[in-house]
This record gives sequence, structure tokens and C-alpha cells, in this order.
Amino acid sequence: MRSVFMRHRWEPYLWILPSVLLMLIFVVFPIGIVFRLAFSNISRAGVVGDFAGLKNFQEAVSSAAFPQVMLNTLIWVVSVVGLSTLTGFICAMVLNQEFVGRKIARSIMVFPWAASLVIQASVWNYIIKMEYGNLNNILLNLGFIQSAVNWRASYQIEFVWECAIGIIVTIPFVTFTVLSGLQSIDDAYYEAATVDGAGFWKKLRHVTLPLVKPSLTVSMVLNIIYVFNSFPIIYTITKGAPANKTDTMVTYLYMLAFYDQKKGPATALSVIGFVILCVASGIYMFITMRKEDTGL
Amino acid sequence: MKTRVLILTAAAILLTAALCCLPFLQYSSQTYIKRSPNTFVGDEKYTAARAEVEAQLETYRAQGIDCAIDEQVTERVNSKKEKTSLVIFTINAANTRSGWDLLAAGLPSSRLLIAALGAGMAAWILTMLNIGRKSGGHAGKTVGILSFIFALAFFFLVPTVYLRMNLDLSRSVSLYANGQEVPGIDGLLGALDRFLYDGEAGDSLVTMLTAMKYSILPALFLLMIPAGSTICAAILGCRKDLKKTLGRVALYVSVILFSVFILYPFFVMFITAFRSNAETTDMYFLHILPEKWIFSNLQDTLNRGVLRYLINSLLIAGGATGIAMLCGIPAAYAMARMDFRGKKAYLGFVIMSQMFSPVVLLVGISRLMNTLNLNDTLTGLMFINAAFNQAFAIWLLRGTFVSISPEMEQAACIDGCNVVSAMIRILLPMAAPGIVTTLIFVFINAWNEYTVSTVLISTTTNRPITVGITQFSSFNMIEWQYLFAAALLATVPVVILFMLIEKHLAAGLTAGGVKG
Repeated sequence: MRSVFMRHRWEPYLWILPSVLLMLIFVVFPIGIVFRLAFSNISRAGVVGDFAGLKNFQEAVSSAAFPQVMLNTLIWVVSVVGLSTLTGFICAMVLNQEFVGRKIARSIMVFPWAASLVIQASVWNYIIKMEYGNLNNILLNLGFIQSAVNWRASYQIEFVWECAIGIIVTIPFVTFTVLSGLQSIDDAYYEAATVDGAGFWKKLRHVTLPLVKPSLTVSMVLNIIYVFNSFPIIYTITKGAPANKTDTMVTYLYMLAFYDQKKGPATALSVIGFVILCVASGIYMFITMRKEDTGL
Repeated sequence: MKTRVLILTAAAILLTAALCCLPFLQYSSQTYIKRSPNTFVGDEKYTAARAEVEAQLETYRAQGIDCAIDEQVTERVNSKKEKTSLVIFTINAANTRSGWDLLAAGLPSSRLLIAALGAGMAAWILTMLNIGRKSGGHAGKTVGILSFIFALAFFFLVPTVYLRMNLDLSRSVSLYANGQEVPGIDGLLGALDRFLYDGEAGDSLVTMLTAMKYSILPALFLLMIPAGSTICAAILGCRKDLKKTLGRVALYVSVILFSVFILYPFFVMFITAFRSNAETTDMYFLHILPEKWIFSNLQDTLNRGVLRYLINSLLIAGGATGIAMLCGIPAAYAMARMDFRGKKAYLGFVIMSQMFSPVVLLVGISRLMNTLNLNDTLTGLMFINAAFNQAFAIWLLRGTFVSISPEMEQAACIDGCNVVSAMIRILLPMAAPGIVTTLIFVFINAWNEYTVSTVLISTTTNRPITVGITQFSSFNMIEWQYLFAAALLATVPVVILFMLIEKHLAAGLTAGGVKG
């Protein structure tokens, strides 16, 4: 195989060169810049000065908003990933059954993946307005409630809404990934389990879960990263207000960098986020590469 | 089997009759009011007033009315800085109305309850008819299915009675009291007067209704139990497996619920895009659907810059897709067909980079764009989107290429065809579905990108659509109808594209990408 496709040893490098260049310039360079800025003194005008050690990190970590932001980030990632995985898994299980209209139901449940997050967040932002929002409209006109409810009474409730919206927009992705995993399970396993007298829960525990575990893991790890990086929902609905109480790390660092013009602490936060992501990516890569070895 | 059907049906009938005798609605009606100005709690005037009210209460109680005293104290400081206090005593009679009362009330909710019970009765009669038959037969099957459908209708109509009661008792009245037009309000008010106040409320009816507090009691919902037992009887009457059929019903119900839930925001986007501006911010929530569909909203948004934004998005996403494919196809090809040192390392890097969203690197990206003079340009966004989608493109393409056997290309190469033309003429056409999938996927991602664009683009005419729609939501006024019209225009194309590749994407993910 090698002799036919490769006349020279340097040939493959020529093939991958454009992609390497693209990634080098637009992915690796920004990483480098962020790291350099994080360890430098930066003036308010953005001029990069000399080496500053850990000063930027200290400033970022000791700011009043930092503990709340980190807590929010944790709640945000854990609740969104956890609950969307659970719901998406149930959705996928339902869609994996045979029933009339299954194709339509499947399309309905996965298509929101293609819709932009800003747009979905804007729609939800309208839905939960108290004075004229659509949720109150629907619930009042159908008779579920007797008077308009203030769905955004406090910032805590707003943050819960943000998490809920995060979950809703993430479900299609999980459903999609898990469903493709479920569909690759051979029916023979279930038939054998039925012969052995296994009921629904036993089949779920001993056949479905072990076989769907790889796609479940992959969707979870990917989700952790996507959700960690998710910016539009919080930015559209509360912009982190009041006083960074509903910010997660990415919205906070965006505000620091582009509203408060504090590039130093912002890049320090970027580096922290980057390290967190690296750990997650490392786990993901470990899983995928290991499967790659056995798969090919 | 027959006895089980009989028992279930009989139980359902008895339970329904019994539940309808229980109170469905509890409400308070004000029968007496005494305002006592300049009264402080505990002083002489207060005691006198209180005694008077209590005497009144006793006379009511003597008539057998269940009532209680409510006391409301309002304290205020007047213009002379003196503290004043007003005590209002009211006697509220707690009344209840049973299911039978509601049935006879002639309210819209009564009609729904009649429909529910009627469906139940139809189900009982049909189930009984069916039980008399010897075995299935064609007619028996039809009767069985009909009884099942009626039983389901019974079950699901019960909660709608609750919803309709809320509309009848509070929403319609409060809209009317606020001066809104409510169709059929005269009939409704008359029926409410007869139902709640025995036709004695007269002119003060609307005041009494708006002041009324009510709760709908659980007895109404308990009707779902006999309804459920009717469903079971109907299923058993058809000689069907009970557990399996109920499972199917639950499956369909959950699919419908999930679908409604997922579609809801898109439904809101769709209807709001065609509302008038006054209707988007209507405090009375008068219409679920637009009163008048204003299709010119789409035209208006296009005229207000959205056309430009759509074209920008098309250019950015198209350019990004082009670049990603030009760089990605050769790389994926090399990784699928050749062996070289560092292949595994590069693959690892590719997977890693898939994880780095540009958000964390925003500061770095904006600096880089300044240096490259690409700040505020469409070209810059093309490259960024291409780069951050490169990983996924390579991953999907490599999976596709690997799944195609290299024999044909090998043969062509041995025949003297060079590697490049073998790839273009043989591999690429065979890999077309995978390539199209990747293409569309990158396109959708680039089309939806928002964060980097907000940072890099400062000129209004260079905005992509995702950033452009935010122009309709300024700080003090949001033109929701235009925002959603623009959102609709931005969403429909990508959703259609996504539908086209959905099937292939699943296969592609399985073959090499995200899924192992």
C-alpha cells in the first residue's frame, strides 16, 4: 500500500501541509499569544510590557466575583451535561422503538442542533419575559395559571433558567449521538436476553448500557467541553448581571477582556480555562485513541 | 377475562358516580363588608365594629352558612404626619360546588365535562357490547377499537376540564373587567351567576368574581382513575395484551410530549415573526396565534440590513467550508492512505484541537487578526471558522476514506495514473456522501458562529446574521417581531441543510468521527 501511494518519504507531509499551516496560524498562534499575555504586564491601552510572573493570575483569582463565577461554572457544566445526558438518553431509547411516525419524531428531536444558539437563546429570552412573554401567554390562554407569573424573579431563578435552556438546547446532540449508538446494537443480543427471561430493566442494565457506553462517554466528554465553552445563552439572557452573579467562566472572561479592558486577568483566566479543557480533552483523546487502536 | 372486564367497568362506573358527588370547586364569596376608618387594632371603635361583625356572623351561621371573618388593616401616615388606620372586616362564605353542579352549570367547562363523561359512558356501553360476543370477528374488532378510543378520550378530557375551568372562572372575567372584548361573555357571566351565586349576584357580579378566590379540588383529577380503569377494561375487552398496549400508549404520549417540548421555542419564533409590534408586547396576552399574520415583517427585516447580513453569513460560511475542505481533504487522504512518522501525533493534535472553542482564545485571536490585518473582515472569519472546524472535517473525511477500499486507486496507480488524479477521479466520487456531509456540517457550524464575530466585526455592514439580529434588541426597546423574522430567515436554510445530511452524519460519526 505504501509503495503505491507514496513515492517519497516526504510526500505525506506535503499532503498535510495546508492543514498544518491553517491550524498553526489560527489555532496554535492564538494559544501562544494568550499564554504570553497571561504572564505579561499589559497597559489599559493593550500594550504588552515585560514579564509579570503570576501577577495577572493573582488579580484574576482574588477578584470579588471569582468564587461565584467558578461555582456557577461548576453548576452550569454539571447540571447541563448531567441532565441533558439523562434526558437525551431517554429520548434516544424512545426513538429507538418501532412506531408509526418515528422518522418524523426523530427529525423533530434532532433538528434544533442545527439552529444557532444565539437565536435559540433569544427566543427563550422572549418566552420567559413576565410582562408579555410567550410562556405566560400560552399558560394563561390554556388555563394552566390564573395570573401572569414572574419567571425571572431573582438572579438565582434566572440562572436556573439559563441552565434549563442549556439542557434543552443540548438534548438534541445527546439524542443524536446515543441514538446512532443504539441503532448499531445487534438485535440478536436482545433476542438472546429475552430467551434468558430478562425483563426491561435487566436488558437495559446488562445489554443496552454496556453496548451504548462508548457513545455515551464520547457524548458526555464532548458535551463537557461544549457546555464549558458555551457563551451565547448566558450572554443573551442575563449578560452575567447582576454584578457577575450569573456569569460562567467564559462570559466572565469575555466581559473582563472586552468591556472592562482588563486583558491581563482575562488572559490569565483563559489559561486556567485552557488547562481545564486540556484535561478534559486529554481524557477524550485517551478514550478515542484507545478505541482507534482496537477498531482499525 | 370476562369477569375482569366486568369488574373494571363496574368499578369505573361506580367510582365516577361517587367522585361526581364530591366537591370539585371551592370558592369564597364575600357576603358582608364593614369598613371602619380611623380605627386602630384594640381600641374602642375596633371592639365595637368587631362585635357588630361577629353578630352578623352569628346570624349567617344560624342560617347554616359556613363562613369566617377576614380582617384587613391598612396603616398610613397622612399629610399632617398623623398615623391613621383603616380596618376592613369582611365575612367570606366558603362554598363548594360538586361535579353534578358543574355538569348542570352550562359553562364551557361543563360542556367539556359532559363530553368526558359521555366518552366514558360510550366506552362502557361498547365494552359491555363486546363482552357479549363470542369471539373477535370484524364487527367485534371495530367496537373494541372504538371503546378504546372513547376510553382514551375520557382520560385525556379530564385535565382539560381543569384548564377550561380556570379560563371560565378567572381569565375571561379578568379580561372583561380590564375592558377587553371577550366573545360570549354575556352567556358566561349569566351561567357563572347561576352556578356560583344562585343568580343573586346581579350588578355586583363582576366585582364579586374578580375578588373571588377559588381552588379546583383534587376530586376532579381523581376522575382519571376510573378513566384509567375504563381504558384497561376496553383493552381487555379487545382481548389484547394489557401491559403491551398500555406501553404503546405511553410511548406515543411521551413522543408527542417530547416533540411538543422541543418544537415549542421554534413555534414561538415562527408565530412571533408574523405578529404586529403591539401584539409582541401585549400585556393582556390576548392571542395565542397572531391576530393578523403580517408577512411583510420578513420583507421589512430584509430591507433593514438583514439581507446584507445573510449574504455576509453565506460568504463567511461558504469561504470557511471551501478552506476547510481544501486543507482537510488532502490531510484526511494522507492519514487514510499513507503511513508516516508523526501521523499518530498529528491525529492526536487534531482531536485535541477539536475541543478548543475559540471563546477561550478570543483575546489571542483578536490580537492575531490585528497583526494579520484581518480584523473586521469577512476573510478573517472565514479562516477562523475553517481552522476551528478543521479537526472535525479531517476526522469525518478520514473516516469516510478509510471505509472505502483502496484497491481501485491502487490499480489505477499501477496503470500509471498519478496519485492526485487517482484521488480526484476515483476516491472523491466514491466518497461523495461523506464529503457532502462534512461540507454541510462545516457550513452549518460557520453559519451559526457568534462569539468570534461579535469580537472581530465592528463595521455594521460586515456583520454575519447571528450578530446582525441583535441590532433589533437595543437597550430600551426590542423589536421582537423583526428579531424573530430575521431569526427565522437565518434558521430555515441550515435546518433544511441539516435534514439533508442527518442520516449520513450519523453514519459518518459512526465510521470515524465523534463516535467510536
